[in-house]
Amino acid sequence: MKKSKIKEILSSIWLPALALVGAILVSSLVLMIFGYDVGLSYQAMIRASFNNIRTVGNLVNNTTPLLFCGLAVAISYRSSVFNIGAEGQFIAGCIASCWIGIIGKGIPGPLLILMMIIAGAIAGALWAFVPGFLKAKYEINEVITTIMFNYIALQIIGFLTRTVMRDTAQADPQSFKIADQAWIPYLLPGTKMNSGIVIGIALAIILYIVLFRTPYGFNVRAVGYNKTASKYAGISVKSVTIKTMMIAGALAGIGGAIEVCGSSHYIFEKISNGFGYTGIAISVLANNNPIGVILSSFLFGFLKTGSSTMQRMINTSAQFTTVIQAIIILFIAISAASNASFKGRTKKSTKKGA
Amino acid sequence: MNVVEMRGIYKYFGNFCANRNVDFTLREGEIHALLGENGAGKSTLMNCLYGMYNSAQGQIFINGKEVSITSPNDAIENGIGMVHQHFMLIPQLSVTKNVFMGMKEAGLVYNMKELDQRVKDMSTKFGFNVDDPTAYIWQLPVGVQQKVEIIKVLMRNAKILILDEPTAVLTPQEVKELFKSLKLLVSQGYSIILITHHMSEVLDYCDRVTVMRLGEVIGSVDVKDTNEDQLANMMVGRDIDLDRKIVPQPQGDPMIEVKDLRVKNDKGLEAVKGVSFKVHAGEIVGIAGVDGNGQLELAEAIVGGRKIVSGDVLFNGESVVNKDIRYRLNAGMAHIPDDRQKKGLVMQMSIKENMVLSNEQSDTYKTGKFLDNKKINAKAKELVDEFDVRPTDIDYKAGSLSGGNQQKVILAREVDRHPKMMIAIQPTRGLDIGAIEFVRSKLIEERGRQTAVMLISTDLDEILSLSDRILVMHGGEFMGEVTYDVPIDKIGLMMAGQRAEGGAE
Repeated sequence: MKKSKIKEILSSIWLPALALVGAILVSSLVLMIFGYDVGLSYQAMIRASFNNIRTVGNLVNNTTPLLFCGLAVAISYRSSVFNIGAEGQFIAGCIASCWIGIIGKGIPGPLLILMMIIAGAIAGALWAFVPGFLKAKYEINEVITTIMFNYIALQIIGFLTRTVMRDTAQADPQSFKIADQAWIPYLLPGTKMNSGIVIGIALAIILYIVLFRTPYGFNVRAVGYNKTASKYAGISVKSVTIKTMMIAGALAGIGGAIEVCGSSHYIFEKISNGFGYTGIAISVLANNNPIGVILSSFLFGFLKTGSSTMQRMINTSAQFTTVIQAIIILFIAISAASNASFKGRTKKSTKKGA
Repeated sequence: MNVVEMRGIYKYFGNFCANRNVDFTLREGEIHALLGENGAGKSTLMNCLYGMYNSAQGQIFINGKEVSITSPNDAIENGIGMVHQHFMLIPQLSVTKNVFMGMKEAGLVYNMKELDQRVKDMSTKFGFNVDDPTAYIWQLPVGVQQKVEIIKVLMRNAKILILDEPTAVLTPQEVKELFKSLKLLVSQGYSIILITHHMSEVLDYCDRVTVMRLGEVIGSVDVKDTNEDQLANMMVGRDIDLDRKIVPQPQGDPMIEVKDLRVKNDKGLEAVKGVSFKVHAGEIVGIAGVDGNGQLELAEAIVGGRKIVSGDVLFNGESVVNKDIRYRLNAGMAHIPDDRQKKGLVMQMSIKENMVLSNEQSDTYKTGKFLDNKKINAKAKELVDEFDVRPTDIDYKAGSLSGGNQQKVILAREVDRHPKMMIAIQPTRGLDIGAIEFVRSKLIEERGRQTAVMLISTDLDEILSLSDRILVMHGGEFMGEVTYDVPIDKIGLMMAGQRAEGGAE
């Protein structure tokens, strides 16, 4: 039994690993074609994150919002709800928590931070509830509704930061800063290491336990694999769908609150920088496993941190890491598809001998 | 003379050997049954002959001449035709158009009148009852559609016919008719291979039989020299006893009472048209009927998976029509669904997780609010042992199990809930004889511990050998109630829509 467990873990790791290696090779090729020094490029990238404790802080800071969005996507994908809406749920969390942070001037720090996180969670959950409800009740495709909700969230934050929440002392449209006592101290002094990463990792572990050790998580996975069998097992597919979406939204919303408390301290239209969409790639790379999401969000955080340094050191475009990210995602997609066709083939061959 | 001779056929799927050194001969003018359990390699062998696989090894001789058949076109050129289990007809086209579809001989411009006439002539010649060649396929009963398939093959000048499980969709009367036509065909020099796992068909209608097991031929014998027990033994490799083992026993209160129930099918048409019946604790009530006559909808309405239009379902005296599935399961219903892969199991989950499915809130598997792996492992091991699931590794994915073992996992899960009422829908469909014997014995055990059992099956033998009472369903209504000793003709007529005197209760 132990053996099969090890085998299972290995089999879940070797394809992402292969995808990574493939992506690095192809990226190198692209760098070479454009005449860059491959070794120097990767060196720049690695130094951007690991040169000193300050750069590690940048890495963590870039990783934190990605981790929450990755978790939000992971749990919804486990129940086969294709939540593209982590982006909007994250933004909803930013708006709600920032609002509380601005108006809560007289409230003591720890309490205010807690209130902000709760506000972020509620806002994200509500933002996800609508698509979840529409899917459960009317079978409206969640891919479409969650994307639409992303745009709505984006327009709302743009509107608020230009009007009611706007800090007119600033040149660019952005909100007032949250109360000073609501700033979460950095994990290490002298760095910008977002302490929220601790909360994120803790939530990942809790999420893992919920998914694999509780009746609710069991139902989520059963519904994700086979809705009909779940229905006949007396699982309420609708309630699981709605609940899962709301948990996903809450996770992304907490991510938004953490971003506001721990890093930006105010909101602006581009606060999310595509975190929700990157979360999809992060979750898929981790095979929607919360523990794996920790690792893969660090990988994407690393790529993001490296982009500007690479630009400075070897004069590439910052977009180049976007290309590398795209190559990785492409390889993940290929490995996922080949995995599926592997399974399909073996299944067919055992079935045919009738 | 041997019209077909296959020598030393090997066929691998990956590492799995579906045919191992198979020899097979078909004589001119015989009906030759190819008998074996699911997975014995019958269809694989015939697909080799019909050119569906080109990686098979071995030699094939047609009329004494060695041939190479690598596609169905080669097979047709060699006079071989196959009627598949699932019909390959286009419902929106007429009989004639289906018959001549893709045939070069029909020419560029069709003379429909002439083609219609040819279909009609062929039909009369062999007693196929395809009276109107201009009728659309969707208008025809399944039995007639099958005849169209056969005409299609004959029109392509096939002299050797392969029929894959042709009786699965037919009533006993239609089966009789089919074999009458087949006899007529062989009397005119056609030769027929019949793939089946029904021994009664072999014994009643065939001339010779070849039995396969696990990809190998066990033997070929003349039907007149053999009997059911010998064939069963050859198929399974041990003695099998599927005789009726139901002995009368006292029954309890009505466990389920259905009153004037009306249910719609997926197309929105009324599939169950006002049926009423009771199932008492400690009895097995069999619901017989040809597939698609409302049995499935009836069962799903009782389980709670399908909305009802009107009527009432009392479970243990309490109306459950407004209760969800989980309520009904907790109240003591158990359900063996018709489609185990779609409705019964989560194929990507392990054996033990499938045992937990629907019981995830039960203290059997929980400690506090958490699922307890120790408890799950212990219980799953116990059930795997008791129900002889193979492999015994409880971490094995349900999707990798054979059909019989998948069914055992479902059975174990449902029986372990100690239900008051068990609804079994086609519980042995597609299983091998060994697994059939096992599933049936478990249903009888349930009856023994005073569970009310409702058995829905299109396999008449199964209904007859297990039921205390039999309700025959046709077109969404009960045609009447009979017992197991009813003449088969009578039950056949009821399945075809003739009401018994007295009516159902």
